[in-house]
Amino acid sequence: MSTAASLHQSRKRKNAVMMTLCVVAAGIGLAWLALILGALLYKGLSGVNLAVFTEMTPPPGDAGGLLNAIYGSIVMTIIGIIVGTPIGVLAGTYMAEYGRFSKLTTVVRFINDILLSAPSIIIGLFVYELMVRPMGHFSAIAGAVALSILVIPVVVRTTEDMLNLVPNALREAGTAIGAPRWVVIRSVAYRAALSGIVTGILLAIARISGETAPLLFTALNNQFWSSNLNAPMASLPVTIFQFALSPYEEWQQLAWTGALIITLTVLGLSIIARSLTGRREDR
Amino acid sequence: MAEHTVASFDEDLRQISRLISDMGDLAGSMVGGSTRALLETDNALAQRVVSDDAIMDARQRELDDRAITLIAKRQPMADDLRNVVGSIRMAGDLERIGDLAKNIAKRVGSVGVAAAPRDLTHSIDSMAQMVLIQVQGVIQEYMAGDATALAKLRNDDERIDVKYTSVFRELLTYMMEDPRNITACTHLLFCAKNLERIGDHVTNIAENAYYVLTGTQLPANRPKQDETAMSAPAA
Amino acid sequence: MKPMLSTDLNVADTTVEKAKIEIKDLNFYYGQSKALKGINLSLPERSVTAFIGPSGCGKSTLLRVLNRIYELYPKQTAEGQVLLDGKNILDRSQDLNLLRTKIGMVFQKPTPFPMSIYENIAFGVRLYEKISKAEMDNRVEQALKRAALWGEVKDKLNASGLSLSGGQQQRLCIARTVAVKPEVILLDEPASALDPLSTAKIEELIDELQADYTIVIVTHNMQQAARVSRQTAFMYLGELVEFDRTEKIFTSPREKRTQDYITGRFG
Repeated sequence: MSTAASLHQSRKRKNAVMMTLCVVAAGIGLAWLALILGALLYKGLSGVNLAVFTEMTPPPGDAGGLLNAIYGSIVMTIIGIIVGTPIGVLAGTYMAEYGRFSKLTTVVRFINDILLSAPSIIIGLFVYELMVRPMGHFSAIAGAVALSILVIPVVVRTTEDMLNLVPNALREAGTAIGAPRWVVIRSVAYRAALSGIVTGILLAIARISGETAPLLFTALNNQFWSSNLNAPMASLPVTIFQFALSPYEEWQQLAWTGALIITLTVLGLSIIARSLTGRREDR
Repeated sequence: MAEHTVASFDEDLRQISRLISDMGDLAGSMVGGSTRALLETDNALAQRVVSDDAIMDARQRELDDRAITLIAKRQPMADDLRNVVGSIRMAGDLERIGDLAKNIAKRVGSVGVAAAPRDLTHSIDSMAQMVLIQVQGVIQEYMAGDATALAKLRNDDERIDVKYTSVFRELLTYMMEDPRNITACTHLLFCAKNLERIGDHVTNIAENAYYVLTGTQLPANRPKQDETAMSAPAA
Repeated sequence: MKPMLSTDLNVADTTVEKAKIEIKDLNFYYGQSKALKGINLSLPERSVTAFIGPSGCGKSTLLRVLNRIYELYPKQTAEGQVLLDGKNILDRSQDLNLLRTKIGMVFQKPTPFPMSIYENIAFGVRLYEKISKAEMDNRVEQALKRAALWGEVKDKLNASGLSLSGGQQQRLCIARTVAVKPEVILLDEPASALDPLSTAKIEELIDELQADYTIVIVTHNMQQAARVSRQTAFMYLGELVEFDRTEKIFTSPREKRTQDYITGRFG
């Protein structure tokens, strides 16, 4: 009797210790997040005004905004997505549908995972060699290409995972009614996996919004307004990099504000992505 | 035969089987007892047979209940289904045999002490023996699973019918010889008829048992040699 | 004079039944392992045939040969002949998609497409037929009526197929199959994921459908097989053990293995 009771007691104690450790660990993690957000809001919010969204990056000492940087980020992100998503989705489709049982798929998946966690600066250097040097100058298009290379593995991964989650019975049902393979994929598998694939795209956007290193070697930066894809273009991350390291107060303030904008954008996208997945799981 | 995966199913079937076996034994003892009581004018034995009928009825009701419950609970198939439905039918026939034996026993007092001539009691005795062998045989062979023996037993009923015809004629003769015999002989006539009816019920049991064991019915036409209804009484 | 009780249970049915599907010497392999061994079977038209047997006996495998859906997966091969109205469907030249418009299939788990109820049914029809909206509306209505679902969904045809209950979803799948006007309908344990009332509705549906379609149903529920089918095939370890009228199989089967299985004596 007493051994059972004392075992129970020791188990309770161990349980309490582990619980405490887990809570503390979670607390530490959350604390950092809170601190970062807090710092961003504190430092960045005070600099948020209409000017940020209407004026160009100023020369040192002057007041200004981040319009060209925001515009540049948006443009390059969109192009990156437009180029990277179809490739990613189609590759993911091949892996999950046509090539499900082939050796090639295993190899591609492996390489994709490597690419997924490749340091983005390497990608920047690669595009530098591939495009910037032959072209002779930095350009927004090179920046977009670098971003698209970052997008592809994310989209491939989520597309393949989401398509693999579609139950085989559904594909069989489509096949059993006489639909050819591509119709089954288009009308049944894609439709079933749609919210998941969209989530993947949103996550890809979130990822590349904050990438600085690849842009450093490709799009460089531009102090002035530029919509020329063949020329260097400003972007938020690079601008923040430049301004934060500078000794000018206005620039530093703009850097904080820029950081806040990026953070809130990424946060917003993640929340949307999460809500899409959540709705799907409710069904 | 392999056991059912669910052991309680086998137990349920065994209980029904045991009931059939008990009812068969009881039927045998009632038929034997009632005819002995008749021939030896043993009123005490006759009373016992009459009270045994209540036990027979109770057994039949119990079997009915168990069988219906088993069908509802177990949805028996194939041989199990034939077994259960066959048991219900056989129990009905055995219960009727009990009733007929009881009826014979009830007439014991009415036949009278020194009523019947020796020869007549011999005839009835031999008919009763035939019937008793059939009654005991049918349940034994069913329990042993001997379908061929059951087919033969069913056909053997023919001899009982033949015997009944001759007993019938004998009784008529006695009644015509001496009108004082009429009361006793009429009772004996009913008793002989009851014995013949018992034989027919045994036939039913044999046919049911055959179907349970093999899944096919015996040919419907079996020889019927009871000519009492067909011939005119001898003048 | 004809006896009242006949030992021949086939007495009522004096017409020679035409075989819709004839299976001849069928072998099936999952890689190297032989899952079906020399199956010879004749499925009569416009009636329900049930495949029963313990897990792993090959009944679902056999069913899936009939519409060649195993071809979606590598290393699954069939040899032998499966004749649909005399034509071998295992032949290389057989167009698989067309085959599947003639032989429809309903699966164990209800699988409505992620579309509206209307679209679920129109989808299959649109694959091979070009018809006007009015005709399509009619087709959808007919299919839903045939599946005994029309009354319950006629006011919400645009609702998602997934918003229906399990039993309704399964009937939707049946409606979808029926809408493309097949000749044969294959049912792979259609009611095993459903509650008793939905199961009963599906069985009633099968009863009605057999007037127009040849139906093959795989089920592990023997009482269901006994209720809905006219003939039953008992399979064990990839072999066809016994095939006969359902009444015969369930009251006095010829093979001991069949008897042991249906009475629950399986060792």
